[in-house]
Formats: sequence, structure tokens, C-alpha cells
Amino acid sequence: MSLLRGLLGMELIGISVRLFLDFQEKPASLDSALILDVPLGVISRIEKMGGATSRGENSYGLDITCKDMRNLRFALKQEGHSRRDMFEILTRYAFPLAHSLPIFAFLNEEKFDVDGWMVYNPVEEYRRQGLPNHHWRITFINKCYELCDTYPALLVVPYRASDDDLRRVAAFRSRNRIPVLSWIHPENKTVIMRCSQPLVGMSGKRNKDDEKYLDVIRETNRQINKLTIYDARPNVNAVANKATGGGYESDDAYHNAELFFLDIHNIHVMRESLKKVKDIVYPNVEESHWLSSLESTHWLEHIKLVLTGAIQVADRVSSGKSSVVVHCSDGWDRTAQLTSLAMLMLDSYYRSIEGFEILVQKEWISFGHKFASRIGHGDKNHADADRSPIFLQFVDCVWQMSKQFPTAFEFNERFLIIILDHLYSCRFGTFLYNCESAREKQKVTERTVSLWSLINSNKDKFKNPFYTKEINRVLYPVASMRHLELWVNYYIRWNPRIKQQQPNPVEQRYMELLALRDEYIKRLEELQLANSPKLSDPSTSPSSPSQMMPHVQTHF
Amino acid sequence: MFSLKPPRPTFRSYLLPPPQTDDNINSEPKIKKLEPVLLPGEIVVNEVNFVRKCIASDTSQYDLWGKLICSNFKISFITDNPMPLQKFHYRNLLLGEHDVPLTCIEQIVTVNDHKRKQKVLGPNQKLKFNPTELIIYCKDFRIVRFRFDESGPESAKKVCLAIAHYSQPTDLQLLFAFEYVGKKYHNSASKANGIPSGGGGGGGIGVGGGSSQKTPLFETYSDWDREVKRTGASGWRVCSINEGYMISTCLPEYFVVPSSLADQDLKIFSHSFVGRRMPFWCWSHSNGSALVRTALIKDMLQQRKIDQRICNAITKSHPQRSDVYKSDLDKTLPNIQEIQAAFVKLKQLCVNEPFEETEEKWLSSLENTRWLEYVRAFLKHSAELVYMLESKRLSVVLQEEEGRDLSCIVASLVQVMLDPYFRTITGFQSLIQKEWVMAGYPFLDRCNHLKRSEKEAPVFLLFLDATWQLQEQCPAAFEFSETYLAVLHDSTRVALFGTFLFNSPHQRVQQSSEFAISKNIQLGDEKGLKFPSVWDWSLQFTAKDRTLFHNPFYIGKSMPCVQNGSVKSFKRTKKSYSSTLRGMPSSLKNGIISDQELLPRRNSLILKVKPDPPEQSDSQDRGAEQYFREWFSKPADLHGVILPLLSGMHIKLWKLCYFRWVPEAQIQRGGFITAFHKVSLLADEVDVLSRALRQPQGSPPEAPCPELVQSRVYFHAGGPHDAPGTPDFLSSSFPFSPVGNLCRRSISGTPLGKFLSGAKIWLSTETLANED
Repeated sequence: MSLLRGLLGMELIGISVRLFLDFQEKPASLDSALILDVPLGVISRIEKMGGATSRGENSYGLDITCKDMRNLRFALKQEGHSRRDMFEILTRYAFPLAHSLPIFAFLNEEKFDVDGWMVYNPVEEYRRQGLPNHHWRITFINKCYELCDTYPALLVVPYRASDDDLRRVAAFRSRNRIPVLSWIHPENKTVIMRCSQPLVGMSGKRNKDDEKYLDVIRETNRQINKLTIYDARPNVNAVANKATGGGYESDDAYHNAELFFLDIHNIHVMRESLKKVKDIVYPNVEESHWLSSLESTHWLEHIKLVLTGAIQVADRVSSGKSSVVVHCSDGWDRTAQLTSLAMLMLDSYYRSIEGFEILVQKEWISFGHKFASRIGHGDKNHADADRSPIFLQFVDCVWQMSKQFPTAFEFNERFLIIILDHLYSCRFGTFLYNCESAREKQKVTERTVSLWSLINSNKDKFKNPFYTKEINRVLYPVASMRHLELWVNYYIRWNPRIKQQQPNPVEQRYMELLALRDEYIKRLEELQLANSPKLSDPSTSPSSPSQMMPHVQTHF
Repeated sequence: MFSLKPPRPTFRSYLLPPPQTDDNINSEPKIKKLEPVLLPGEIVVNEVNFVRKCIASDTSQYDLWGKLICSNFKISFITDNPMPLQKFHYRNLLLGEHDVPLTCIEQIVTVNDHKRKQKVLGPNQKLKFNPTELIIYCKDFRIVRFRFDESGPESAKKVCLAIAHYSQPTDLQLLFAFEYVGKKYHNSASKANGIPSGGGGGGGIGVGGGSSQKTPLFETYSDWDREVKRTGASGWRVCSINEGYMISTCLPEYFVVPSSLADQDLKIFSHSFVGRRMPFWCWSHSNGSALVRTALIKDMLQQRKIDQRICNAITKSHPQRSDVYKSDLDKTLPNIQEIQAAFVKLKQLCVNEPFEETEEKWLSSLENTRWLEYVRAFLKHSAELVYMLESKRLSVVLQEEEGRDLSCIVASLVQVMLDPYFRTITGFQSLIQKEWVMAGYPFLDRCNHLKRSEKEAPVFLLFLDATWQLQEQCPAAFEFSETYLAVLHDSTRVALFGTFLFNSPHQRVQQSSEFAISKNIQLGDEKGLKFPSVWDWSLQFTAKDRTLFHNPFYIGKSMPCVQNGSVKSFKRTKKSYSSTLRGMPSSLKNGIISDQELLPRRNSLILKVKPDPPEQSDSQDRGAEQYFREWFSKPADLHGVILPLLSGMHIKLWKLCYFRWVPEAQIQRGGFITAFHKVSLLADEVDVLSRALRQPQGSPPEAPCPELVQSRVYFHAGGPHDAPGTPDFLSSSFPFSPVGNLCRRSISGTPLGKFLSGAKIWLSTETLANED
């Protein structure tokens, strides 16, 4: 790691702690002091290293662990009590919840031209999907979050299921998370449903209402007489869940359904895997055995399993013409990954910038992915077993897809990275709290700014120049270790030794060509105007590049 | 050696449409005679009818029916059936889509599944059973499979034996190129004047009207002289002592030496070097440092004296009289056996082992092949020599026992990194002529055209792979595309081009003179037969297909680029950098240095600081590290030096080359090619516009001249099919198609459900007994 010597200053500005380093020996490549902005929300852990008696250089100071793979270590002089003050201030503002302070998003007074909270309107999104229709209805049964406190207020359910049916089904699903519609295929009308595990338990309980409800879902699709259930968990985990009252849909009880396990591991496994990734890239990137070290983290293997699962869901809906039900245990981690990735593969709308924002807003935020618990916003308990990089893993999968299909996504890598940065920063209200009901209670949309406000007012920065809009194209990535890569520009971006190609040279070249084209068009227009005044009537004088091309080609 | 395990069904759907019930086939039963397309001098040695070519491994529904022939050049499968599921084919003019050149065959396996027997066929072997199946493992990673269920058992057997015999010739003159060239000479002699077409240097890629520069072959004095002048090397001269290969049979007739060494001295020194390969010049930096390669001095008594004399001479040739830096490649780099072993493992992993079974341990298996490690080692070593030449201003001498293998890679890579000329197509071809063909890289042995496997090693491929790594990292710096590199590699497997046929230029002259005498060919003044050159790309590809060799990202010297919004022409000056690698502010601002970019440069990162102040210790490593760091902190000059990033994560597997025949690894309508396609369209549009701008104003539009209007790029803007979107036929394998290559699972587009229930699994050869 780089070693820098200098005076350390600190200033809390808004959401960030700004760290100043004034160098004793100024590196040639820097012409002013190094300023390091670390959003307080990103800090996971602050530790003092060494004590008054510590000997040796760099043995006394502060060590700051961040949620975004960074580690900052400041060696301080032992004289004075600067460290204690620094430690206390940092701790106080980095972990406001422990000090009865508000999270920064509530203090943020930034103003943007567009209001990101307007991006997602569930009624509009369902209408875009063609809902309600004669098989599916929108229900307000959860308006006050009484049916299920971690679900959104608005749900889409089979037309033939009454609200009473829904209540009875809720009793048999973990945390009342009943099967509801996430997405409907525009042509074959098969659907992706999401829910939590059935409460089967050790005794193998059955619930007629639940069985009937799934059958009603199946019947909305006339093409295949089976319903497909994807249980995201490994088979053994599903069985083990019976001990705590959970379980899975047995063949006996659900005759018309086929059940598949997708072998995706739980939040704890994912957390440990990412920790191992950090170990191989920090403090030094494992050089001599990079590939086998990477393999030993199993991170890409998990990515592969998540993608494989989503491909199966998408393939079953699109080619198999069967409706599918996806669940894991509670239906807010792996389920969200699978439904949102499958939707991204199936529906090109979600591959636009706004579409992706809606996808995140819908499948993750509104359906109760527990962002507060998984990230630990403002919370000092860094070892909390509830924390897990599930959303990061989802974004990584999206990145993998964008690598395989460089023209399919409207957004670029920067877009994905800024989302992840603000997943932790607490600058915006977007990812705060565990579910919609809590957000409603805290009036998040009124009291905070949405991340989409920031992004949508700078859209050009986040656009992929190669994007080619294609309606109705299903994307099937190849979920093979031969194609999956570690996302170096995200995971290793803090390592000064790893040179990155920023910006992407290929993208850059494309932008240059675009500029060149516009320049030529302008010149050609000028020439034509100058040379042939007759041509200057509006019908022949091109006004935009797209109209220009056919005109130019008539010369040949 | 090869695993013949049956497939294990796994989750994966191939997104291709179900096979069509073809109306045209049913409409009219047309009986056509299936005739092979033959080249001059090519003869059919055996054939068998009613052969089935297998397309998928778990179903026979896509199989093709036709005739299998073996000629003295290739095996060819001739069929009337269209290729199923294939939307695109990149056609080689010399070979049909089902053809395999005999020199591309790696192994021939015959199977009889009734008798449960299999045998790997060598030359002059007997086959005690009638084969029901033939599997051909190709050197270019393809695997093709034929079934003889309906064919005459005896003729099937004969064809297999013929393939085994003709693909493993005992003598160089039995390679098809000789027959072909002989025929050409006879034909042209019976016509008017004697020079056959396709000889000589061959053009460049020759598209876009008039841009076809000739590739210098370095067979003549003047080619070397021009290269000396081009690089501005003073103190070096072309010497002719090896005319008629009087000194060494593995050196070119002309080569470049320090001016201060007299011919007489050179002749005396030459005896002390292995293969009489005395030091010869490769290239000179504009600062005067020279790159020289040499074999070792075997004469121990003379060693110090000669070494001293040579070093002094090289120093004298340096304008600053700088020292000589010697690099002993044998001690620092993997040897050819290791390279071959790595390649065998890589191939095993990429194509022979079941796809799904290798997934779990893919990364560590890939690491264990050591292929990427070796690619990296060569790049690293070459980059260090770039530092010596460019920064330390030392002349560099590459030393290797014979100086014919590792030296070729290192000398070439150093020049690709240092000299932008070698990153153009013509320049790259001239580099291969200069450092490989003329410098005596033993193509015959290393490609193993005669199947005497102990000398086989993919040294040339390793160089192409390393070049690909540079191209991957610096796409705007190369005129050629990765397709070009892959096609170049494939061309080494077609025994038609004199370029890749011999161990040395002398061998070509000697063998072809012998052949000419035996065939009564009048050579006249020529030194040996003129074989077709691989650089005459029109022999293999149409003008349109050749456009795929061009990299649309390339910023040529004369090509305009945009700076600060205005169009400028590129000039090779230190200051006019391309804006390609910088300019766009890093958006990763959150948590990085500050809002105003402190380092508006490439790869701006936090703490982008030299970790330690430079110390006095002049250790080589430190200096080189410093040099690299400084280079990477500055914007790259695409027309200056380029250096590779060398950490483990930056050296990647060249997927197009190694996965293109593996259906499971194919990304349909995806992969880098889709971005390539998009840029091509735009580049083409820019071309059209710039031509319109150049047209004299006021003059009537010229009549369309197809030659002039021909685009430099493969994909055109405004074509008839320019619906926005990614064309159907693009995939990560483009322009190659894995359809028809034996794989371990279905390539059919069935939904997963059907897939799992399993179609017919092809008979396993796993449990079959080996015949001997």
C-alpha cells in the first residue's frame, strides 16, 4: 500500500469526512495537498491502532475500514490527544444511530432539476406491463401494510383469488409474503411470481388455500399444464428450514407444480465470500496465483449460480411458456436477485436507465429487501450477522451481463458504480430502511432526496455510447466461468498499483468518432449552403445527422 | 490423451430456433453429383459416400449427409444439405466449410461401436475393424466427427487409412504446396511467360482502393537497406556474405551488421557461433540504441575475444557509444518444451475436456496450464528491454542457444511496443518476415507439418497471443483486428504458403530446387520455387471478408481525430496525444481525490503517488519500475511506445482464438463484436462524410465507382439490412462458427425442459477397448 507522509487534517462537511494530507515530501505528480473525501456512511469500522507505548513508525494511529473494500490507515504522532478527538468525532458522525443522531440523508438539502421519487409509480409500471387484465387484478389489500408489513401497498394477484383467499394464504407463507406477480410476458402471458417459503414445518403441514392459490396462478396460463416453482436455496437448506417451520412445496401437496432447487447459498456464505475477495486484493493484490486465489473466494462461482438461476427462470417463462413462482426463505434476498435478473433478461425496458431504476425501486426497495440490515446504515455494529452484500452481488451480475452484451444496456459502468457508492453513502433516502412501511412512516420521500434525482439530472454521464435499443430481445448471458470476470474497476479501484483503463479506450474512441461525424456534417452543411443556394430550401437541407446520411449518399 | 467421456446433461439452453422442416428439400428430389472443389495439383485419393457428419453430440437430427473425400491437400465433406442453425459463415476461398487441411489434423480416431473398439490411426497402420465412426482432432481446436452407418464398410475403412497416410507425410516435398506450385509452373509455362500468380510478396490487405502496400519480405538487399534507413540506424550496414547461404543455412542471405565489422572478420567469427548464427541487427531506436539477436558462442576458447569484439562494434555503432545490454533468454524465459506443455494443457482444458466438468475448477486449471504465465513472462521481459532501449539508451543483444525461437518472440514484441509501424498491417507482416521467416524460425518443425512431434511448439501462437494482449489493452494503437490475428494463426495450418512451410529460407531454396529438378521445372534465374505468400490474402478471402482484418478503433497516423472539439490531423509529435485514453473526467469521484481532478490523466486513482521517493540505488528493477510507472501516469502516445499492464488480472485468455469452436462458450448476439459492429458503422459513416467533403465542390457527383467507394470496414452504414440493432449472426465466435464442431452437448435450441429429458445420447466411446 502506498505510504504518504504529511499532516493530517480532518473536516466534516455534510456527509463526508474530508481528510487532508499535506505532504512533507510532495510527490511530483501532485500539485496540491491530497484531499480524500470519504462519505461517513461508507465507514464500517473505526479502530485505534497502537497505544501510548507503541514503538516504531506507523504503529500508532487510526484504522478505518470501509464498506466499499477500502481500508484507510492513518499513522499519527503520539504527542497531544489529537487521536482521541478525531476518533470520537468520527465515531459519532459515522454511526449516527448509536448516538441518536439523524442519518445524513435527512439533513441533505441538495436540490436537483428532476425529482427521482417520481421515477417509480407502481400503477404506471403495472400498466406498462398491461395490467390489470382479465386474469390479474391490482389489490389494495395491503394499503396499510396489514396483510404483510414488508410488502408494498400495491400488489398484483390472480383475478380469481379473493382478498379473503389472500389472507388465508398469507398465514401459510413465511412473514405473510404471499405469491404476487412481478412480471408478465407481453406475448405468452406467463408470469413471474415471488413469495417466501411455505410454512410446512417438520410435520409436513399442508394448506388447501395455498395449494388452490398456486393452482389458480397455474390456470392463468393455458399453454402448459404445470406451474414451475424455483426454490433458490440448495436442497439441503430447504429441508433444514423445516426445522424452523419453513420448507418447500412437496410433490404430494402440489400436484400440478414442478419444483427445482437453484443451489444459491445464503447471506452468510455470500458475506464470507466477499471478505475473501477483499483479502486477495487488499492490502496487496495476490499476484503469483491470481486465478486460483480468485477461485478460492468462490465469489464468481456464486455469481454464476445466481445468473444460472435467473437464466432458468427467464428461459422457462420465455421458451418454456410456463409461469414460475420464485422463492427462497423469506423472499427478500435471493428471490429479489432472481426475479430482477430474469426481468432484466426478458424485458428490454429494464435495460434503459429509467427502466433499471424502476426495476431496483420495484423488486428491491418496494418488496422489502432489507437494505438497512444488509448494509447497516449508520449502525456501528460492523459484525452484525444480518449484513450481506446481496444487492452488490446483483449489481455485479448486471455488470457481467453488460460485459457480455456491450450494446444492450443504456447505462454504463459508472452508473452501476454510482449506485453502489450511494448504497452506502446515506446521502440519499433511496436505500434507507428495510421496507416500504418503514419508509412511509419516516416520510422518506418527503424528507430526503432520491439517488435517481442525482443520476437523472446528469444522465449523459451514465450513458453507454454503444447502446442499441432493441425491443423484445431476450438476453441470455453465458453463465460460465469462462466468461465471468472479477469486476476490477469496482473491487480494486482503490488500489493505486492496479492501473485501470479509465476511461474505457474503446468507448472513448467511439465518442471521438461521433464528434468527428458531427463536425463533418456541420462542414458539409456549410459547404452545401455556400455552394448551392438553391439547395437551401428546408426540404433538402438536412437539419440533423440522421436525416443527413441519405442525403450525403445520393452523391454516390 | 483425449477424453472421450460422454456428455453429462447440464443446465444451459442454446438459443437457436428449432430445426426447420425444410420445404426446399421436399419440393423436388434433385439428384446432384457431389463433386469436390479441387485446387491445381490437388487429386482425390479416396472417397466414401453416404457419410453422416455429426452436428450435435446428443442428437442426430441436425446431421448432414454427404460424401467424405480425402485429397492430397484436405479432407472434404461434400453435401447438398445446408448447414443447420448457421446464420453466417466466414468463407475461406481455399477451403469449403466442412474441409480440414491435412496439415491441420492433429489426431485421427476411428471407432467401431458394435465391436466396442477404437484406434488412433498413425501412418502405415492397419485397421482390423471397419470403422463406424471417425473423429478428427484438429490443430486449430476443432473436433469433427463422421459416422459411416450407411456407407460401405470397406470404403469407409479405406478413407480413414488414406487420411491417416496423407496427413502424416514422410517427406517435406510431399506437402501439397509442392504439387500446387509445380502445377502452377507447368500451367504458366504452357501459357506465355513464366511467373505464376500468387508468388512474391503479396499485397497488403488491399481494400479501400489503392492502400495495398507490398509487404517487404526481406529476401533482398534492398528490403534490409530500406529498413535500416527507415529506422534511421547509422553505424549499421547490410552485409552480403551469406549470399547463396555460403556462411549459414539458417540465416537470411542478407542481414545487417555493425559497419565497423568487416566481411572478413564476420566470416571468421561465424564459425564460433551455434549454427554460424552471428549477431545480426533487428531494429534501431531513434535514439540510436539497437536491438540485436545472436546465437551463443560455442567456441569456449574464443568466447571472450569474439564477444568483446562484437560488443565493441555494437557500441561503436551507437551514436552515444552506449554500452550493450545482454539478455540471456534461455535463462529468463520458459523454453519451448515448457511452452508446448502449457499449450497441450490449455487445449485439453479448452476443447477436449467436458465443458461443465471443467467449470468448477476453471480458474485454477487455467492457471495450472501456465499458458497465461508464459504469455506474461514474454511481455514482461520485452517491456523491460523496451526500458533498456528507450530509457537507458542501451543497445540490447538477445542471446539464445540457437537464437531461433524465444528471440523471435522477444525481438518482435519489443518492436511492436516501440515502433508504431509494426502495429500497422503491412508493418506487422514485415515484422513476421524479418524476425520469423527470414530469421530462421523453424516453422516446419514447430508447426509439426510432418508429424514428428518432438519438435512441436506453438512459439508463433504465443507471439500472436501476446500481441493480442497488447491490442486488448491499447485497441486504438493497432491497425489490425483480433480476427486478423486468429486468421493468421489458422494460416499456419494450411500447407500452401511458403511463409510457414520451412525451417529457414535456405530450406525453401534447397528443397524446391530439388523438387524442380525432379519435376522438370525450369527455374531460370529464380532461387527456388515461388510459393504463394500468406500475405497475398486475396488467395484466402474476398475483399469484403478481408475488411474484417481492419480494426475500426485504430487511429492511423493520417487519420483525423478530435481534440477540444475541433478536427485535427494526427502528427507524430510528443505533444499531440490522442485524446483516446484520457480526457473524460473520471466519474468515480465519490471518495476520490477531490472534485477538481488533480490528475486529469489516465487511470486517475486515489493516492496516485509514487509510493516511495526515488532512491539512489540504481538497481535495474527499480529503474524499470519507475519507468513503467511514469509511462502509465502519462497519456499514452498511440504513435509512440505502448507498454502492457502485467498484473495477473490484466493478462487474459484470448477467447476468440481458443473458444471459437466451443458452442457452449458462444454468446449469441453478444460479445465484443457487437461493440465492434457499432463502431464500424460509425467509422464507415465518417468515411463517407469525409469523402463527400473532399469532393471538389460544384462538380457533378461522380459516377459510383465500386472500387473507390469500397469501405474499409466490414459493416456498412446505410446498407439494405441496416435495421438498428445487433445482426442476428453476430456472436462472441464471429466470424467463426462453432456449428458442426463436435461438442459434448446439444447445440439445439430446445427449452431446458426438453433438454433435461434428454434426446438421444450418442454412443459413448468411453468404454470402448483400444485395439492395441
